[in-house]
Formats: sequence, structure tokens, C-alpha cells
Amino acid sequence: MMPSPALQLPESLHAWLSQLPLLSLLLAVPLLGSLLILVWPGDPAPNRLRRLAIAALMLQLVLSALVWLAFDPQQSGLQLRELHSWVPGIGLEYNLGVDGLSLPLVLLNGALTLVSVVCTREFSRRPRIYFSLLLLISAAVNGAFLADNLLLFFLFYELELIPLWLLISIWGGANRTYAATKFLIFTAVSGMLILGAFLGLALFTGSVDFSLTPVGSDRLAIGTQLVLLGALLVGFGIKMPLVPFHTWLPDAHTQASTPVSVLLAGVLLKLGTYGLLRFGLGLFPEAWARLAPGLAIWAAVSVVFGSLAAIAQRDMKRMVAYSSVGHMGYVLLAAAAATPVALLGAEFQMVTHGLISALLFLLVGIVYRKTGTRELDVLHGLLNPQRGLPLTGSLMILGVMASAGLPGMAGFIAEFLVFRGSLNAYPVATLLCMVGSGLTAVYFLLLVNRAFFGRLAITPVLDPLVHSRLDVRLAPVAPRETIPAIALGASVVVLGLLPALLGQISEATTTAMAQLPVLLAAITQGGLS
Amino acid sequence: MAASLPLSLQLAWLIPFYGFSGMIMAIPWACRWLPRNGQRPAAYLNILVTLLAVLHGSLAMRDVWLSGPHHISIPWFSAADLTLRIGLDLSLTSLAALELVTFMSLVAQVFALGYLDKEWSLARFYGLLGFFEGALAGVVLSSNLFLSYFLLEMLTLSTYLLVGFWYAQPLVVTAARDAFLTKRVGDVLLLMSVVALAAWSGSMEFTDLYSWAAEARQSGTVAPLAGTLVGLGLIAGPMGKCAQFPMHLWLDEAMEGPNPASILRNSVVVTAGALVLMKLMPLLQLAPLANDVLLAVGTISAIAGALVALGQVDLKRAFSYSTTSYLGLVFVAIALQQPGIALLLLLCHGLAKALLFMSVGSVIATTNCQDLTEMSGIGRRMPATLSAYLVAAAGLTGLLPLGCFWCFGQMVSALQTSAPLFAAVFLLTNLLTALNLTRVFRALFLGTPLPKTRRCPEVNWLMALPMVSLTVVVLLMPLLLQRIDPVPGIAAFPLGVAGVVALSGGAGVAIGALIPLDQFRSRSIARPFRSLQDLLSHDFYTERVYQLTIVTWVAGLARLTNWLDRRVVNGVVDGIGRLSLQSADNLKLSVSGQLQSYVLTVIVAIVLLLMALSWRGIPGVL
Repeated sequence: MMPSPALQLPESLHAWLSQLPLLSLLLAVPLLGSLLILVWPGDPAPNRLRRLAIAALMLQLVLSALVWLAFDPQQSGLQLRELHSWVPGIGLEYNLGVDGLSLPLVLLNGALTLVSVVCTREFSRRPRIYFSLLLLISAAVNGAFLADNLLLFFLFYELELIPLWLLISIWGGANRTYAATKFLIFTAVSGMLILGAFLGLALFTGSVDFSLTPVGSDRLAIGTQLVLLGALLVGFGIKMPLVPFHTWLPDAHTQASTPVSVLLAGVLLKLGTYGLLRFGLGLFPEAWARLAPGLAIWAAVSVVFGSLAAIAQRDMKRMVAYSSVGHMGYVLLAAAAATPVALLGAEFQMVTHGLISALLFLLVGIVYRKTGTRELDVLHGLLNPQRGLPLTGSLMILGVMASAGLPGMAGFIAEFLVFRGSLNAYPVATLLCMVGSGLTAVYFLLLVNRAFFGRLAITPVLDPLVHSRLDVRLAPVAPRETIPAIALGASVVVLGLLPALLGQISEATTTAMAQLPVLLAAITQGGLS
Repeated sequence: MAASLPLSLQLAWLIPFYGFSGMIMAIPWACRWLPRNGQRPAAYLNILVTLLAVLHGSLAMRDVWLSGPHHISIPWFSAADLTLRIGLDLSLTSLAALELVTFMSLVAQVFALGYLDKEWSLARFYGLLGFFEGALAGVVLSSNLFLSYFLLEMLTLSTYLLVGFWYAQPLVVTAARDAFLTKRVGDVLLLMSVVALAAWSGSMEFTDLYSWAAEARQSGTVAPLAGTLVGLGLIAGPMGKCAQFPMHLWLDEAMEGPNPASILRNSVVVTAGALVLMKLMPLLQLAPLANDVLLAVGTISAIAGALVALGQVDLKRAFSYSTTSYLGLVFVAIALQQPGIALLLLLCHGLAKALLFMSVGSVIATTNCQDLTEMSGIGRRMPATLSAYLVAAAGLTGLLPLGCFWCFGQMVSALQTSAPLFAAVFLLTNLLTALNLTRVFRALFLGTPLPKTRRCPEVNWLMALPMVSLTVVVLLMPLLLQRIDPVPGIAAFPLGVAGVVALSGGAGVAIGALIPLDQFRSRSIARPFRSLQDLLSHDFYTERVYQLTIVTWVAGLARLTNWLDRRVVNGVVDGIGRLSLQSADNLKLSVSGQLQSYVLTVIVAIVLLLMALSWRGIPGVL
């Protein structure tokens, strides 16, 4: 009866799949694609480069699906491991592995990079570098998710930074220099803190293997653990982002082009949450249990702050960006509670936020390109078929309702799991987060009501630059934008109706993380004291 | 075990999917993927699947009648210690409610064929109606708190989309927004309770929750405060759905939507909300306060709703407030542990109110006007509409022996000794409702025709057919009630009670017939009357109160947060950036090329470093 499409492969095929270096291929394919685009002979048209990038990403997605096939959801540890020595002197190993925490994110990365390449309009400026950078980011993100070595993770984490900086500062909006510099400085600080924590761990434990084994108080004094965990929290908190380290995000989003926003919100923020779970909770479970009550409050503040700030926004893209701040707070809440259900909820929240925010940024991008503005005070009645955006409007309603946690769509089950898992541990913080979920409905309803409902433009055309395209019939939206949007919308609904699809991949891993003996001991100890 | 079940029950989980499949089938027409312009096929397909749902429901009902109630449980999602199932309860009550829902949906859909004859996006309307029907059918069958919440929220979404159907009109936009947000407030409060119960009790099935609640009350595992909060959260959801004070505003504004959806909203949606409340009642033993709140809310809604209805000149709004009022009565009945009578009242009210909205819809469709002060003397021109109105009015009030008369009699006789005050509430509401119906009747159907109503032919058969059939159903209501025959019999109340009920209805009719009604001077000149009239017609200024309180607070908080974000959080970031740029600029000037100053800097730095390293404090900190 259970709608669990557990794929049963023939034994021989499974064995053959597990022998392939699938994870390395996941890194190599986008990387080679990126190089290929850079060195493609002649002067290829942007569309040909785009097709090349799509082909590479298709291959990457197929490989991710193969990893899914070869993956054994019953096992909680890292699988399909590839262990190679790289620079043993400093503890840098080329160790890859995948588990229930990273596999959904790898799939998400493949899908969303594909979406962002598909939805790209022809860029007259340097298409070669553009597509090459997108593929490079995808490779780096895959590497970060698959790395089984702290230094290797850090390398990939930093590798993704520069391409994104270039993508914002070359193809961004009018104020792109400010936004890109801000992004660069924030993320560089984040990287420094993370590296500092990793090096500190090696320094104080005296072992330079940089492996992902949890550190107990038998190896490291709890004070030192707290300091290192604090550095990681701020480092990943910048990336997620959490209030008050979030101010780079709305600026980066408003200046970035649509495909970059899709990638930034959908995939790159997940590096922060992934790092938080894998390295914060995973490396320092004892210190984590100590800090957890504070983290829950931090999560609630972040959620409520982000949601309230979103209500006050007048720019659609800024509003969606602030909603990311709010939604990433749920992940911190779940991680603080660290119960099996909450951690599974965190995984769900990462994936669903990736899909939903990608959808929303895609749609806002369409509106912006068609009308020339994202101002909610100016836009009216876009749902009207006369304006040419009825499908965009319908998908927008779907997206915002999913983001507000309406059942039947993926956002609901993620939030339900997070709240259900966290309520007993931190009732007040959980209730505040639910209030934040209610506020999500407020600002997104304002967005839909202002921009999509209402009459056609009723304001006289005062400023021809702003209003020029508001009174005219807009050209229909090209399939390259509608098809990814429909696919994302469909995936949001499918995941909302069949959550077991994702649950069965991640459950073993998240349950094992929550039941880490060190963590359990620390929680019970904290409960007693 | 499952094999021995009749097919209709084995496949009972399909029933909500009829509606949802109607939604999916309407998509090609709604998106205009089909080359031909007509959107009627989407409507026909939806009516067909709804008919199937009615038939399937009645087959299931027959089988349950023969073989007793059944329960269907399908696993949906489980993780760690959380198990979520799809649970459907196939009892006579729930299937009767299902039949009510699907039958009303069928009637409303046929009615809509006539009412929305010239609508440009008919397919979208039918698709939304299918979604609406599917969610409703699921809610009444659900045996499980999680599923009920799931579907109630879907209902919220579909109400939003249906109210916002004519999204180009400014009033519709605010109405849709208010409908969604008001219900969402109730839903979020309900979600808090659902999550709490899920975390505490483990199971989400109502029957498991009942035994858990009884056990928790005895053993005191749930703190009184937590129990009370959970109880209040649980009733907040149905309060929003049933448009009870203070969450009633949306139902009135929702009248901006198409009338066929109003028919469903005022009859079956509110019924579904009340049914969920009934399922929640055993859980409220954790929260004695919640029961008192229910009583207070029900009483206020019943009387205030009936009063506010008197002050309305909009045809639809005059009756939407009456829905708030009747659901208030249902809340009172539920809170006073009279679920049987509450169910009968829901049934009688649902059918009669739907008929009333159909007759009102016919008037609006014919005259394109819903302002009472601009219409008069329709009666002779629209006989079917007139008879529908009269039958619906008789069915709603306790005067003639149609549906609600018996419910009121039952209720008054049950309460006359234990809670005479609430019996009086029922009688007063009956009086006010009768007054309101008579007032509207006089203004609308009697008198000399006004310019807008001079030429008003009877509606076409697509609207007349469902209207007349429902008229017959409402007329036959007493027979149906006799068949249902609740313990202790539908007419088991003394003649005196019947007299009092009829008297209250008669008094309402008499007052309604005697009060002066002048369409040209509809606002009184006398100051006190005028303020009273304004108070009622503006719904006790509830909207303004909301504007001044919640809306202002949330908007203010949002602005404050935004200011904090821009000035403080971002200000610090920008400040650090500016500071470092400036200090770099200043430092630039210190580059003098003099070797000794560099050497001095290096030496100072080394000394500081050594001092820091030799200081014992630092290793201790780490």
C-alpha cells in the first residue's frame, strides 16, 4: 500500500553501478563541460553554447539519478565512497561519499542548474564565460556536498565563491558592484571562519586527518568545542543566511540576473544549511546540545524578522529574498531540536525551499523582463490574459501558496515535520516559527493581490521609463521559461502529495544523526542539569 | 477482511477524487489549449463526475446501511515516531454529510451553467469548483485530525481562488485577501494544536485522540495551561471556517464572488467546519475554557449576526450574516452537548440557505442588481423565484412546520430547564431572522416595480430546474426528518414549546410586516435610529476595528523591522566597510619610506605578540 517507489535493481546492474566512480563523474562532467565551453573552437553562437551546457547538465542529472539508483536507503552512513590520497602531509584527502543528507541536495543541484541554464536568455556579453561559470558552480557545489574530508569541503566551498561573484558583477543590475562586493566580503569571512574552525580542530585534537568523525569531550575540552562551533555557526549562518548576517542576500538577489538568483536561492544557500547539519551538529554534537536552546531562539528571531521585513518590501525580488531568510530559519530550528523527525524536516525544508524559491525567482524574473519593473506599487492585473501572463500568474499563486505552507504542496510537509519534531524540545520557539509561517501568507498574498489581481494598470503613464510596458499587451512567455517553471511547479505538487519519495532517501541518515550516542548523552545530561 | 467489503466501500477513498479529477479535466479548457472557444465541455465533465460522486456516495450509504460502518485507513507517510495516515470514516452520518456536499455541489454546478452563461472563463470556475468539492468531500469523510487539517487548508485555498474569481475588480481583491487571511489565522492556530497533539499523543486518528485525551485528563499529563491553549487553537479553525465573530468578516465580503460559489459557501462549507468542530469536541475536555468560549462566540454570533443582517441593503449580504447567525446557534448546540440536534440544524439550514441563495441569485441574474433599495415588485413576474424564496424562508425559520421548526422545537425543549437563557437565544435569533426575511421579502417581491425591476422575466431552465428541485426537497424536509427519526423522535417536544417557537417566528414576521420600509428614505432621520442603523449596517465597525488594531500593528512591526534592517543591521555592515576604506585611505598617508618607522612597527608587533602568548589567560579560555 505504501507509495514508496523503492526501485529494485537487478543484482548485477547494482553491482556494476557501485563499481563506477559515480561521484567523481558527478564532479568531472560539469567541470569538463565548463572547460569545453571555454575552449570550444571558433566563435560559436550563444545558443550553441547554451545547448552544450544543457547537454552537460543533462548528463550530470542522469549521473545523479544513477547515484540514486545505486544508493541503498537503508544504510545511514556514507556510501559509494571513493578514497584517494591527495596531499597526505596536510591531511587533504580526495574522499567522496554520499548519504541521505547529501543525495537529495545533489539531485537538487543537478535539476536547478539545468533550470537556470535552460531559462537563460541569450546573453550578448561573453556567453562563453557565463555558461562556463554556471557549470563550474555546479561542479563545486557537487564537490562540497560529496566531500568526505573537511579540507576538501572547504576547497569546493571556496571554489563556488568566485564564479558567483563574477556572475553577479558582470551580468548583474545597475548596482551590481556594491552587491557583488558585499557578497564577496561576507562569503569570504564565512570561508575564513569555517577554515579557522577546521584548522582549530586539527590543532587542538592534534590529528590532521580532517575526517568527519564527531568529536567528544574526551578528545577536546568543551570550551574549545564551543568556540570552534561558534565559528562554524557564524560561518554557515552567513551563508544560509541568518539574521543579522543576511544583508548581503537581498542585495545580491536584486542585482543578480534571474538564472543566477535561481541558483543562489535554490542551491547555494543549501551549502550553509548542509554545513550546519554536517559539520556543526555532526562534528560537535556535545557543544551543539549545549548551544541548542540559544539556537532555537536565534531561529525564531530569524524567521520572524525575515517574515516581517518581507512584508515591508515593495520590490518583488527583495520580498522573495527575505522569505528565504525566514524559511532557512526553520532549518536551524529543526537542527537545534535534533530529533529524528525534525532533522528529516530540515532535509525536506532544504529541498522544498530550493524548488519553491527557484520557481518564485524564475517567475519574478519573467515579470521583470516583460514589464520592466518589479515594483508592487506599479504592477497590476497581470493575471489578466490580455497581459499575456496568465500561466505565470497561476504558477505564481501555486508557488506562493507552497511557500506559505499550504497542504498538497511540498512546503507543508516540510514545515509540519519541522514543527512536529521541534515542539516538544522548544515549544516557544516553534510557536514563533509558526507565526512566521502565518506571516508568509500575509506578504505573499499581498504580492499576488497587488501584482496579479486587480485592474489593468490604472495609473496614468507618468514615467515612460517605468510605466512604458504596463499598458501594452505583453509578448507571450517563451517555452524556455514556462517549461522549467511548470516542471518546478509539478515537482512541488508531487513532493507535497508523495513525501515518501524524499523521506525514504533521507530517513535512515537523519535518524542516525539524531541518535548519535554522543548527542543523546549530551541532551539527557543537559536535561538533567 | 477487505475482500468481503462491497465494492462501493472498498473504493470509497475515490469519492474526494471525483472533484479533484474534475479540476484536472477542466485545465485544458481553462488554459485554452483546445483550439475551439467553447468552454462548456469542462462544465459538463465536472457535472458528470459530481454526479458519479453522488451515485457512488449513495451506493456506499446503502451498503453501510446494510452492513454497518466501516473505516478505511491508508498509510501516507511515516518517519521515525511519526505516522501519518489517510483515514476515512464511512458511517451513516459522514456519508449523509457527503451526500449533502456532493448533491449541493451538483445542484450549484447546474445552476452555474445558467448563472455564468456568458462568463469568459467558465472552465476555470468549474475547475475551482471541482477542487472545492473534492476538498469538502474529504473533510466530511475524514476520520483523522491530520487529514482534516490538510483538507481544511485546501478549502481555504479554493475559497480564496473562488472569491477572487473576478480578480479584476478592486472589491473582489480585498474580499479574496480577507477571506484567505482570516481563515489562515484560524488555520495557523489550528495547526499549532494539531502539531502539539501529534507530538504528544502519537496518533492522529480521532478515536485514538479521544482515548488519549481522556487518559491525559485523568492522569494530568497535560498541563492545564497547555490543554487550554490546545483547546482554543482547535476551535479557532472551525470558528474561521464557520465565519463566527470575530472572524466573520470574510463571509460577508466573499459575496463579491460568483453566486453559485456563494451557494456552496453558505450551505456546505460552513457545515463542514461545524462537522470538524463536532469531531473535535471530545478533545475539548482538556480545556474547559474552550467550551465556554464556544458558547460565548456562538451566542454573540447568533444574535449579532441576525442584528447586522437587518441593517444590510445588499441582497446577498443580508443573508450571509444570517449564515453567521445560524452557525452561531450550531456552536451553542454543540457546546451544550446536543450534537444530534446540531446535525439536524446543519442539514435543515444548509438546504434552506442554499435555496435562499439560489432564489436571490435568480433575482441578481435577471436584474443585474443586488441593491434592495433599487428593486421592488418582482413577485408576480418571477413565480418560481418567489416560491423558492418563500419555501426557503419557511424552512429557515421556526414558524411553519418545515425543517428548522423541528430543530428549534427540539432545542428549546432540551434547554428550557437546563439552560433557559440559551433557549431564549434560539427564540430571539428565530425572531430576528423571520423579521429579516419578511423585510427583504416585502422590499423585493411586493410593491410596485421600480425602473430596474420593471422588466424581469423568470430565469431560464438551467437555473430554474435546480431551484425548483431544491424547493421540493426543502418542502419534503419534515418527511426526511421523520425517516432519520432521531432519539427521542423529531416531534418529541411539548405543544407549548411548539407554540413558543411559532410565536417567536410569528412575532418576527409581524414586526417585519409592520415596520415602515421606504426605499427612497432608507436611512432614518432620527439621530438614535440613524446611529443604530449605521452600527448594524457597518457590522459594528468590525472592519475598522481590525484596521486600527491587527492591520496597523502588523504593518507597523513590518515597517519597524524594515527600518532596523536597513539602518541598523545594514548600517553596521556599511559602516564597517566605509571605516575600513577610510582607514586604508588614512594609512596610505603613513607610508613614508622611512626604514626606522617600519622597523619600529615590526618590533612593537612582535613584543605585543610575545606578551599575548606568554599570558596564561588565553590557553585557559580555549
